[in-house]
Amino acid sequence: MIDADKLEILTESAKYDVSCSSSGSRRTNKAGGLGNASVGGICHSFTPDGRCISLLKILMSNDCIYDCEYCPNRRSADVRRASLTPDEICELVINFYRRNYIEGLFLSSAVFGNPDKTMELMTETVSKLRRVYNFNGYIHMKGIPHADGALVMKAAKLADRMSYNVELPSEKSLKLLAPQKTKESLLLPMKSLNNAIEYDKQNNVRRGKVLPAGQTTQMIIGASPECDGQILKLTEALYRNMHLKRVYYSSYIPVVQSSKLPANGAGLLREHRLYQADWLIRFYGFDVNEICGEDENLSPDYDPKCAWALRNMHLFPVEINTAPLEMLLRVPGIGAKSAYRITEARKFSKLDFDNLAKMRIVLKRARHFITCKGKFCGTDSLAQVKTSLLISGSGEINEQLTMFSEPSTALSALTGEI
Amino acid sequence: MKIFITDGSPEAFFTAVFDAFAEKECIVTSDENVQLAFDSQVIRTVYDEEKCERVRKGIARYDKDAEDDVLFVLRSCDPLKEQIAFEYIKKLMKSKTAVKKMLSLPEVIEFNDILYKVTGEAHRLKGLLRFMESRDNVLYAPYSPDNDITDILMRHFASRLKNERFVIHDVKRKIAGMYNGHEWIMNYVGEAEVYLSEYERAFENLWKKYYLAVNIEERPHEKQMKRSMPVRYWKFLPEKNQKT
Repeated sequence: MIDADKLEILTESAKYDVSCSSSGSRRTNKAGGLGNASVGGICHSFTPDGRCISLLKILMSNDCIYDCEYCPNRRSADVRRASLTPDEICELVINFYRRNYIEGLFLSSAVFGNPDKTMELMTETVSKLRRVYNFNGYIHMKGIPHADGALVMKAAKLADRMSYNVELPSEKSLKLLAPQKTKESLLLPMKSLNNAIEYDKQNNVRRGKVLPAGQTTQMIIGASPECDGQILKLTEALYRNMHLKRVYYSSYIPVVQSSKLPANGAGLLREHRLYQADWLIRFYGFDVNEICGEDENLSPDYDPKCAWALRNMHLFPVEINTAPLEMLLRVPGIGAKSAYRITEARKFSKLDFDNLAKMRIVLKRARHFITCKGKFCGTDSLAQVKTSLLISGSGEINEQLTMFSEPSTALSALTGEI
Repeated sequence: MKIFITDGSPEAFFTAVFDAFAEKECIVTSDENVQLAFDSQVIRTVYDEEKCERVRKGIARYDKDAEDDVLFVLRSCDPLKEQIAFEYIKKLMKSKTAVKKMLSLPEVIEFNDILYKVTGEAHRLKGLLRFMESRDNVLYAPYSPDNDITDILMRHFASRLKNERFVIHDVKRKIAGMYNGHEWIMNYVGEAEVYLSEYERAFENLWKKYYLAVNIEERPHEKQMKRSMPVRYWKFLPEKNQKT
């Protein structure tokens, strides 16, 4: 059985990876097998930092040949080192899974020996889980930059999701802080995986699909000087060109002392605003240019949708009973679920403010931007609207970690969040 | 006013719906302790196959999902569940079309609220249920849900753990679902005695260790943890029952 100290070391090394979702895959159980995947994802526990535990998130090894400035496991750091064998990992996954502690495995690793060797051992682990232990639960694998393409494709046929972390929002910062990783070593494998996924899609491949839950990535915010506009531009390009399922942001925490790194953390509010903007791009039909100029930062005072609405007051108020869905989605305070409820309900009868309140549509912010049957309940003066939005948004900072949890009820599937 | 009291089974409920349908004002409930008004007339509904079938067919005519939804609502711990389901069925029959998406109707709002509470808890417990391994290799999960959702979980775990034998035990309602590797049944189970396997404590300790290690201490947010994982579920979670 695995040694408890090793588990501790390799978990602590893996915990800064934000991604934890187990959604997007419909893998079914096989005869004689263990486990299946639930398309909406399932959270199994929550830690005191408010994040969910869905997958067993662990490094194969933290014994790294690379020396990335921001990384607690970099070669020159003085930390405890540990490595696991494929069998140790398999045994742990199977036993945690049977007890319903986890939804599957998130396997990452430091680069030990060389990239090919690392990728090979990770792939061997996952292959063993699937073929020897007949495990059909969810598997998320981290891609190792510079590893051989054939190895990566082999892994992609076994895993549900893979991710190459772009790490930093620009090539320049990558060169400075992670000199052994290059832009190409991250983007090229991402691209070839995307091609393989698209190929399966176009040819209607049903069984043995490559990465049924797609790819994600992650970048560190605030360790380098890029502004929000640049980060969001990159995000949008990744969604459009690589068809990523998610881009995760991780606000920089100074766990490592370095002259190349800022002394202070980036703060959680900035990360929160970026996630809000990310949601607007993916689910609300916003274009990056509408949210943030290329060399600008998002407003700390207002959420990005409020900020956009305040710049575009001439488009409001909109009539709840007739406005198209795209416009409802742009009303501050009305989210995807509320917009869905409104469009369904108004098919049968006209809605007034009383109806909206009973349907639990939150009107605190929305009332300044809508009319119901022609009636307006907000404030006309822009200054007053601004103050009122500031006040209603002031509790927000405490709420921000909600972005970490992956709400996955039937309704969020309906509204397309997953 | 007539008060129809059922034994809590869906069949008796559908029978009561049939009897109560023509009443102008009435109460349908399975609550024996319901408050009685001066003029109330208590009617104990017993299952009648023909009436029950007529109601089920009537519902299916306008909305094929409605019966399943009603069955979910009847698992709720809400004392008004039968009344709310009854009002919903009345609305459905009078509208002669599916009302599920008429989201501004009060009957639909109340019904959907309960429906989401039941399905939401079932979803949550698909994650929060914890099995322990017994000496004869059966997995045993005691829990105490708000709503009666054990058979929903049985379906989920029977496909997920299809080659295992397991028991999901609702200790509050004293019922258990049992799966033998091929099929599952529901049964009355008061108390269960479980002898743990040799490795059970070791894996439980590894899990506890993992839970402590994966937390990022620099970013505390206990409120969010409790919102996603309410304290009333902690009793059966090994990771929340450890000294830190």
